Amino acid sequence: MNSNGGVEIANQSMNELSIKEQESDESVQVTCFSEFSDDVTLHFQIIRLHKQIYAWIGCNSAKFGHLYAAAPTRPSNNVSVTSLIGGDSDNTGLGIARRLVLKTGLNIVLACNIPKNSPMLEAKAEKKLMEKLISLGYIMRKI
Amino acid sequence: MAMETSDPLFPVRQTSLCLDIQGNKTDIIISSYEDHFLVIVTQIGSMGTILHARKEEGVSIDPTFNVAVVFGKRDEPMLAACARKLIEHIRYIFQFILPIDASLCICLLNCYQLLHPCYDFCYICSNSGSSKALVLSLGLRDHSVGTLKGIVSAVIEKIF
Repeated sequence: MNSNGGVEIANQSMNELSIKEQESDESVQVTCFSEFSDDVTLHFQIIRLHKQIYAWIGCNSAKFGHLYAAAPTRPSNNVSVTSLIGGDSDNTGLGIARRLVLKTGLNIVLACNIPKNSPMLEAKAEKKLMEKLISLGYIMRKI
Repeated sequence: MAMETSDPLFPVRQTSLCLDIQGNKTDIIISSYEDHFLVIVTQIGSMGTILHARKEEGVSIDPTFNVAVVFGKRDEPMLAACARKLIEHIRYIFQFILPIDASLCICLLNCYQLLHPCYDFCYICSNSGSSKALVLSLGLRDHSVGTLKGIVSAVIEKIF
């Protein structure tokens, strides 16, 4: 009888723990930070939803910039990416969004106001964002 | 429950709130950029349908708003109506309310609507100046009128 009672208590505790984990997974988490270097200030905002991540990258300003959506495409494990707002022949943020999904497997919506023809700035922003996503534990897998 | 989450030095001000709308747990995040408001409303853990709304620059006295679905459901007119309502509110914040203290303007709006319920407060305001555009994402379990009214009320209350 005692062992059955103990098993029931253990099962109940495990159910409570899994419910709490599920609730914390489903809560929205917002992270904001800035990086200063070489007369350029990069601002980052990451909003983690349960099934998707929204990120904004600001370069020296708080303008919204262009908006892109990217996601892994089954079954071929390719990445689909599209410009939603703004975007022209030099889609700076589009490349960032595509590579983020390639490396992480996340479903991403990215807003970015990095000026065009700034490959070094783009690479730095992408690297910082990746590092932060890893440190926050948001990375699921690599494709 | 609402929470201001931004560092005072971070250039984007944001507010998060979690509330129950028509029985569904709803997370709302409002971010204020230099030229846009971003409003994320989710019940399903993703951004869902994304709409872009802005006031058209023109010479007409009556303002014209452009609302477009840029991602997701294009056959749900109530979602566009929700964005339209919010962009109108943003417009009169910037053209009439901003010079006044925010708490005073809520008081004025409530008083005016009590005295003159037939008037649409938007059309009383001047048409000068520009306002921010709106990016609205709606990831909803249901698109009922009650849900969308609840969302509009919650966002309007917080969008200062």
